[in-house]
Amino acid sequence: MTRIFGTGILRSLLLSFRQQRRGTITVQYPRERLVLPERARWAVEIKPHEGVEHTCTGCRACEKACPDYIIRLDITINEDRSKVIDLWHYELGACMMCGLCVEACPFDAIRMGHNYELAVTDPADLCVDLLVESPAHEPKRKVAAATPPPGPVEHGVPVPSTVDSAATESSATPEGSDDV
Amino acid sequence: MSIVQVVVPRVLAALGLMLLNGVVLIYMLRKVLGHLHLRLGPMENGWHGIAQTTFDVLKLLTKEDPTPKAVDKALYFIAPAIVFVPSLMAYAALPFSNSVRIVNLELGLLFTFAVLSLVPLGILAAGWSSNNKWSLLGGMRAVGSQISYEVPMLLAALPVVMMAGSMNLGDIVRAQQPLWFIYNVPAFILFFVAGLIESGQTPFDLAEADSELVSGFATEYASMKFGLLFLSEFSNTFIFAALTVTLFLGGWGIPFVPEAIMQPIAPLVFMIKTYLVIYLLMVIRGTLPRVRVDQLLTLGWKFLLPVSIAWVMITGLVIKLGQTVFGGAQ
Repeated sequence: MTRIFGTGILRSLLLSFRQQRRGTITVQYPRERLVLPERARWAVEIKPHEGVEHTCTGCRACEKACPDYIIRLDITINEDRSKVIDLWHYELGACMMCGLCVEACPFDAIRMGHNYELAVTDPADLCVDLLVESPAHEPKRKVAAATPPPGPVEHGVPVPSTVDSAATESSATPEGSDDV
Repeated sequence: MSIVQVVVPRVLAALGLMLLNGVVLIYMLRKVLGHLHLRLGPMENGWHGIAQTTFDVLKLLTKEDPTPKAVDKALYFIAPAIVFVPSLMAYAALPFSNSVRIVNLELGLLFTFAVLSLVPLGILAAGWSSNNKWSLLGGMRAVGSQISYEVPMLLAALPVVMMAGSMNLGDIVRAQQPLWFIYNVPAFILFFVAGLIESGQTPFDLAEADSELVSGFATEYASMKFGLLFLSEFSNTFIFAALTVTLFLGGWGIPFVPEAIMQPIAPLVFMIKTYLVIYLLMVIRGTLPRVRVDQLLTLGWKFLLPVSIAWVMITGLVIKLGQTVFGGAQ
């Protein structure tokens, strides 16, 4: 297509006029907020379950899974072999929100939260204690909860993947509360 | 009435118009550029951020006014005034309507150009006295571009003067009653391009090229001294747009609307037209990238100047031919 010399300026101006008719895409943040996608990954938090405070058994799978070594569980084992989580320490400032701890958790105790307003004025506030002085959860069953891992989704329904659940179960068994 | 009673209100009116224009234009620029970028522009202060520039001006007024150590004190302090005063004076000849104007100058067009040609002097003074190589570069560029474009701009306005037969801006507007002079398209384009450069609008804003010269001649200025430089820049934009409207877009007039109806709404029509031209300038500002210095000067000396001289001759020839052919019949 041959173009006349100098018409590029006119075309660019027309483009500018068209852009102005498109309307703005600004989200006025404090007053308007985007809806986060369901699997958005922000700070780790304790996942609420019905009837119990939390489902953490103190298995330390998350601590082992964390690539940044920012999760630390201080656990006391009583004489009756029940466990108390003294501290579920989580260093938000160094977390890269990879979600490996959530994937590793065999009892579905933690999740990646949707709170993205994480700024604090004091760096010390970035060290969060998710659980303090809490008795460890005694799971009813000794295998992991059947949470579908993030996998292929077809027509909105997660495709059941036998390989993944088998892997979760096998990894859960040695990490569970049986071996304590 | 003594001369003071005549002069003071008019100067104050021009000053008020200039300040108001500055405030409105800064807000408008931010809004127009914002919507070009699919943003919103200022939104926080007042309805859709309408009070934003007022607060900006208040901030400028209350800011500390540091003077760099090595500046040339006298020039440094007087330069904003040298820039500001001519662009205030240029409001004098603008005809807002048949009666609303500051003075009715017979050589209004020439006066406006003459006064505006003082602006580069102030800019060079600002650039030189700042003792900063970027400022100096900005000042030199401003002088280089503005002096070389004054000639084509004046030459592009000449066809209009020939067609109207007067340099009085009011007469020029009246001469456009049935048909605006924009039908002289080459003269309009030449005038528009030269005026873009003259008023330092973005494709040719080499004098303050933010990305290369920080902000050019205004770098070392702070507080209201910077405010004056900034204000006179926006004021020059307004004057250029108003001149475009006056010379080519029929000034305060609307074709085929009689004078009696136009009389009360003429200033409004003039302002609306001017602001539409300014809107176009802002869209251009948001669209086109900056040219290089050599491209700018090449465009000026090798293209605009010869073409505008040629167009003056052609227009003159056509007018003379028209007078000989049709004038005899009358």
